[in-house]
Parts: sequence; C-alpha cells; structure tokens
Amino acid sequence: MRNVSKLTLAALVLAFGVTTLQAQTNSANITATATVQTPINVVGAQQLNFGNVFPGVNKSVAATDLTNGGRFDVTGQASAPVSVSFTLPATLASGANTMPIDTYTGVHADNAAQTGGVAFNPVSGASPTLSASGELFVWVGARAVPATNQAQGVYTASIIMTVVY
Amino acid sequence: MRGMIGLVVGAGLLAAPLAAQGRPLTTSGVRGLTFGAVLPGVPLVVTRTDPALSGQLDIRGPNRQQILLSFTLPLVMTGPAGAQLPLVFGSSDAGYSESQAIGSQIGFDPKQSFTATLANNGRGSVFIGGTANAAANQRAGAYTATLTLTVTVLP
Repeated sequence: MRNVSKLTLAALVLAFGVTTLQAQTNSANITATATVQTPINVVGAQQLNFGNVFPGVNKSVAATDLTNGGRFDVTGQASAPVSVSFTLPATLASGANTMPIDTYTGVHADNAAQTGGVAFNPVSGASPTLSASGELFVWVGARAVPATNQAQGVYTASIIMTVVY
Repeated sequence: MRGMIGLVVGAGLLAAPLAAQGRPLTTSGVRGLTFGAVLPGVPLVVTRTDPALSGQLDIRGPNRQQILLSFTLPLVMTGPAGAQLPLVFGSSDAGYSESQAIGSQIGFDPKQSFTATLANNGRGSVFIGGTANAAANQRAGAYTATLTLTVTVLP
C-alpha cells in the first residue's frame, strides 16, 4: 500500500511537471496587410513648339495652345492628389549657340481637351488631383527670346516634369 | 493508512506550486497591422497607438507572472506575382500594456526581446506599428506578411 502511494505521487508529480513545461512558451500570429495603389506614369505627349522664330522678335506659346503647347500625360491612382514640379531650361541650344527661354506658363486638367483647366506657374509647380479614372494632363507654354543677331538653326532644350504622390 | 497520509501530505505540497502557476499561458492575435492604401514612393507609418490600424495580441497567464516577449518580424510583405514591399520596424514600434489599454503602453523595440509582467488579473496586451516603404515603381496590389509573437514564462 505504501509503495502504491509513492508511485501515485510520482505519477502526479510527473504529470504536473509536464503541464508546467508545456505552458512555458506560447505564440500567436497577426497579419500585416497593405494595398499598394497604381504607380504614377508620366509621358511627354507633345513638344513645346515655337515654330519659326525671327531674330529680335520674341515669340510666346501659351499653355492653352493645344497645338503648340507642350503636354505631359499622367496616369496613376484614381482621385489621388499629386505634386507636380519642373526642371525648366533657361536657354535653348543649337550647337554652341543659345537662345533664352522664359515666362513659363502652365495649365493642368483632367482631360485632354483642357476643359476646366487650371492655370499655374511651372516655376512654383502645382498640386492637382488625378481624375476619377486616374488621369492628369499638363500643358506648358513659354516665351522664346531671340537676339537680333541670333544665329540661324534649330534650337532645343529639355523640360522635365516630375510627379509624385 | 500510513501510505494514505503520505499521499495526502504529498498532494498538499504539490498544491502550492500549482496555485502559484495559475492559468495556462495563452497568446492570441486580436488585430492585424493594417496599412491600408499605400501610394508608391510614399512611406506609410502606422503607430502602435493607432486604435484601428496597429496590430494587437493579447496574453493571458498567471497573475503577476514575468514573461519574455519576442517578435519574429518579416522584412517584406509579399504581393502580386511575388512582388515585395519593404516593412520596417523602429525601436519603439511595439508597446506593452498590463491594462490592455492602447493609451497606456510601455514602448519597446520589437526587434529585441522585452521583459514584461502580466497584470493582477493575469492579462496583458502587445501593440505593434511599423512603416511600409513602397518604392516609386511598386507593383499595385494587395500585400501581406505574418508577424509572430512568442511569449515565454520567466522563472
């Protein structure tokens, strides 16, 4: 009888010992989730075209000029606000010859017809909102200032537009 | 009869440590860490005190028990076609609350183990925030990752 009791006691100790060990560590998971929106895509859709320029005669192209104004097309997340900024050249170049370009103007709209367009200063940038279909159209105008002795040639420069959320 | 007495005494000695041990340790995930809509190129931070977006795990165990909290944290969330979205945890992005109140946390680094004490009622909660760093060309879609909290009873 005494031996049986000791055995029972030992079994109890063993059983409780196992329970204690099992309860020492516990773990649980949670999930991290995110939904990434559509990345921004910018395309230079139309060049800013001054056409023929005569020495000593300034020539301006308005941002509202749908034919000659420069145009960028932007796509991204629908209805998302974005920040638009520019790197604007101060001169056009033809080989070693340069011609000043200044007085930049800008218009942005949520359609390619510029309906409801909003004027802005490209030097300062703009903070428009992409359309419900995730589109934005941006036009740029400027003034070419040829000198009276401006050398003949084709003058070009790059206008860079950066768009971020 | 002497054996019976021995058994009763033996059982009495066992009862004390069992009472001290109390209820078993359990850990449960209550709420996921939710970043919601993330714009490419724009880091999105969820704080551990955000009642809707922070992750939460609840712990139950013996009253006033000291425990060790250890996270297993992912470096990225995985999205469409295996695309990866970097996930960053700062040095105070996790918090522990004895009262299980999100407004009453002790911050800690989820990348390090942290010693905590369960409340008088044997409860405690862990909250966690983080930062999702979507690249400018991050592929659009849903991303997920698993965070694991391991709780160890300290002697």
